[in-house]
Amino acid sequence: MGEAIVITSGKGGVGKTTTTANLGTALALQGKRVCLIDTDIGLRNLDVILGLENRIIYDLVDTVEGRCKVHQALVKDKRFEDLLFLLPAAQTADKHAVNPQQMKELVTGLKQQFDYVLIDCPAGIEQGYRNAVAGADRAIVVTTPEISAVRDADRIIGLLEQEEMEAPKLIINRIRPHLMSRGETMDVNEITTHLSLDLIGIIPDDDRVITSSNKGEPIVMEPDTQAAKAYRNIVRRVMGESVPLMSLDREKQGVFAKFKALFAK
Amino acid sequence: MTTKQLVYMKGTKEGLVLMLDDQCGYSELVSALKGKLMEDRFDEQIEVQISTGNRFCDGEQMKELLNVVQESLHVRVSKVKSDVITIEESNQRILESQSSTYVGIVRSGQKIKSEGDLVVIGDVNPNARVEAGGSIFVLGRLKGIAHAGVNGNRDTVIGASWLEATHLMIADVMEIMTNEKKELSETPEMECAYLLADGNIAIKRLQELRVIRPNLSTFKGGS
Repeated sequence: MGEAIVITSGKGGVGKTTTTANLGTALALQGKRVCLIDTDIGLRNLDVILGLENRIIYDLVDTVEGRCKVHQALVKDKRFEDLLFLLPAAQTADKHAVNPQQMKELVTGLKQQFDYVLIDCPAGIEQGYRNAVAGADRAIVVTTPEISAVRDADRIIGLLEQEEMEAPKLIINRIRPHLMSRGETMDVNEITTHLSLDLIGIIPDDDRVITSSNKGEPIVMEPDTQAAKAYRNIVRRVMGESVPLMSLDREKQGVFAKFKALFAK
Repeated sequence: MTTKQLVYMKGTKEGLVLMLDDQCGYSELVSALKGKLMEDRFDEQIEVQISTGNRFCDGEQMKELLNVVQESLHVRVSKVKSDVITIEESNQRILESQSSTYVGIVRSGQKIKSEGDLVVIGDVNPNARVEAGGSIFVLGRLKGIAHAGVNGNRDTVIGASWLEATHLMIADVMEIMTNEKKELSETPEMECAYLLADGNIAIKRLQELRVIRPNLSTFKGGS
């Protein structure tokens, strides 16, 4: 039986959907059977980022209301042979079209067929959040080094701690190493001690994340980028491997700086 | 057999005390009191305390007694002493004298409340709120909102290993810890906030609490 992981943040725009798409794709690249659920009913995005928008026939609300079978609503990603599926959100309904009990039943059913069920949570702490969390076994909280995002993450962690699940894990997204090293944003240590949560990965800010999302190809498909490496590392940690945290300043160091460092020793 | 005097005046170190009998009926007491005050005439305004002994008077009765006493023009009541309280009041006092401990992080949007003292082992994050009828002590970072003495006790304090609260409240006084208020807190480490007699909140090192609020210590003995 598989495991259901909810990806949440509280604040909008910190990269929940991008993270869900990339973790899902990276898990599929590792040969796992993965189902992604978009619970942002009314404002669905996950299908766009995965490039599956025009293949949707049924959606989450259709499934829950019994208008179709679950497998009919699952959209298969053809790039991965029978490994990656998406259960898209409805665009024409709102968050109250589904309740937590229905979500729990749905996720429990999907866990029988998949190794991992990743649930993309909408921003906020209302019905949409409660739906997303209902069926999850564990949670990953995404934040950025901005104070506003960290505040909201703190709120959401407080809510998650009241659920019956293991302690959530933290992803710090969109790190800009030059701002962080100059102390102009919170650094990784500050954020983890403030939230007192285990870090499961850090992802450097990269323009290519945006361009790849626009193409409908998650960044993990371009393995030479730092963001792709970061997502692949997170996936290995999700699967239980221990992978050291990646160093952020290595890429910034030019050849000259490396030489200088060599002679400085 | 001489009839027992239901109301009599007694001189003590703290001044005159009007002793009211606690065995007779209430209406008897009221009429005895009226008679007593009629016969005693004081030339100048005097202050008395009232002692009701083991009689329990509810709010209405107490008001009536005070009215009767104060109708006699020259007497002013400074204090009412009673040897009994209701179970309700007693329970409340027990609650307020107890200390509760919370282990964990109080996160944004969460609220922890205690009737008596509150000890938080862990952090209080921004936008989290801790409230106590007594004092608040945080073993960790206090970065949110703290309110001590919510029922009006102005002797309570707020202490923390790292006092960086956004709002501090003691009884009905609130202090916003803005950047301009540097004098409030230069280094936020091991500090406590307390209420000055002039109604302002001040912050001192935790070690000075011994002098500022000696009554906080409930520990007996030691050498």
